[in-house]
Amino acid sequence: MAADDASSAEMRRRHVNHDADPLALDEETVERLLTGTLPPAQAPAGYEKVAQLLAAAAAAPTPEELVGQGAVLAELRAAARARPTAAMTRGTASPPRRRRRTGLAVVVVVGAMVTGGVAGAATGHLPGPVRDAARAITGAAGNGTPSSPTTPGQPPASAPRITDAGGAGPQGSRPGGTGGPGPGSTGGGPVAGAALEGLCEAYAAGNGAAQGGKLDATAFKALATAAGGEDKVATFCEDLLPGDQKLKDPKDPKQPGSSGTGGQGGPPASTGGQGEGGPPPETGRAP
Amino acid sequence: MIGPDFPDVLGAAARGDEEAFGRLWRDLHPRLLRYFGVVSRAAAEDLASETWLGVVRGLDRFQGNEPAFRAWVFTIARHEVLDWRRRAARRPAADLPMNGLVEWAAPDDPAADAVEGFSTRAALAELATLPADQAEAIMLRVVAGLGVDRVAAIMGKRPGTVRVLTHRGLRRLAERLGGDGRFRRVV
Repeated sequence: MAADDASSAEMRRRHVNHDADPLALDEETVERLLTGTLPPAQAPAGYEKVAQLLAAAAAAPTPEELVGQGAVLAELRAAARARPTAAMTRGTASPPRRRRRTGLAVVVVVGAMVTGGVAGAATGHLPGPVRDAARAITGAAGNGTPSSPTTPGQPPASAPRITDAGGAGPQGSRPGGTGGPGPGSTGGGPVAGAALEGLCEAYAAGNGAAQGGKLDATAFKALATAAGGEDKVATFCEDLLPGDQKLKDPKDPKQPGSSGTGGQGGPPASTGGQGEGGPPPETGRAP
Repeated sequence: MIGPDFPDVLGAAARGDEEAFGRLWRDLHPRLLRYFGVVSRAAAEDLASETWLGVVRGLDRFQGNEPAFRAWVFTIARHEVLDWRRRAARRPAADLPMNGLVEWAAPDDPAADAVEGFSTRAALAELATLPADQAEAIMLRVVAGLGVDRVAAIMGKRPGTVRVLTHRGLRRLAERLGGDGRFRRVV
């Protein structure tokens, strides 16, 4: 809830001396601003507009940004002709890889997200990456058939997203096909993968003492949902984050020196559990 | 968003499937344009084209998940920016393109999409006023959606340096946006 978020945000900022520097930021707040997991209304004093600006910078694509695909596809055809070995013949192509487990988890829980309050994200009540993730995920299975992730559903009315038959899964392999979407195609909603990566970073940034406060309830719920459960978040983020980032972020002064709580596979306490069923974060923005 | 389909989409795109490639393109092309618009201040379309050429050429050799793919694409993109800057430095100053963001800075454009109080154009124009390293770090974090480590690898800096850059950039934005009312508020 907002009150919890406000108090936890205050705790996170407590070690920053605002008397000496009214615009001082701690690293965790920076991370939340960058990953769009800090609603503008909850941003520190002086940073509400910054949060709004970052959300606008990461907003869904505009139609004019989706023009010009044809030239690239021509290059693709040329490149494909240049390397005919095994590439263009369906028979010799390697069998489609199995969907990665994490990816599957995202899809499996889409239904839950759609009905679990994150659907509100499609209308823009969540900050950038979170909204993008929710928008993309709800878009990917908007027809309520999570078992068929390659079938695009109906787009949320307010969100540009992938509308092509781009289900382009394994069966979509049509060498030499000319059906490339034209410049007019819309779609390409921002990526949940990166958004989830951002959430994992925010999660990692708060790893350690103040675990419960590192993500606001909705953001963590989205992450937990994607991971397949709160107890799977740690493992999920392990897989998603690169190298030394993982769940041991050296920038966090609260990070215990030992092998860490909730690090490798350790269940991340009841993080954000209070967010169950909670409403999306208030952004203080009128419709 | 490609998401769970990504491995299949990537594989199909690498085999020349145009629909699959189109999905990758539609996901990343807008982000590339915004990145180029801020860090190169011009030539965004050209640089994006060059980047996609690099992606096409290397696609069948790329291996990795979606975040890694995105980082790879932006690694190519940054190389294009560096090349562009080198070329620009060799050109007479008069030939340098004007700041391409002039066109973006249209806060009163009623047609501009506005999100959270800013139009995307106004937001990008504002980001472009930051010192180059700060703007680039923020763009790679926020618009490319990459983590600190990946951004550090792309920029050839240490993660701690990237954190400092983004921190300073946000702070500078806060100072600049301190109620001067230059940007249209939606509410």
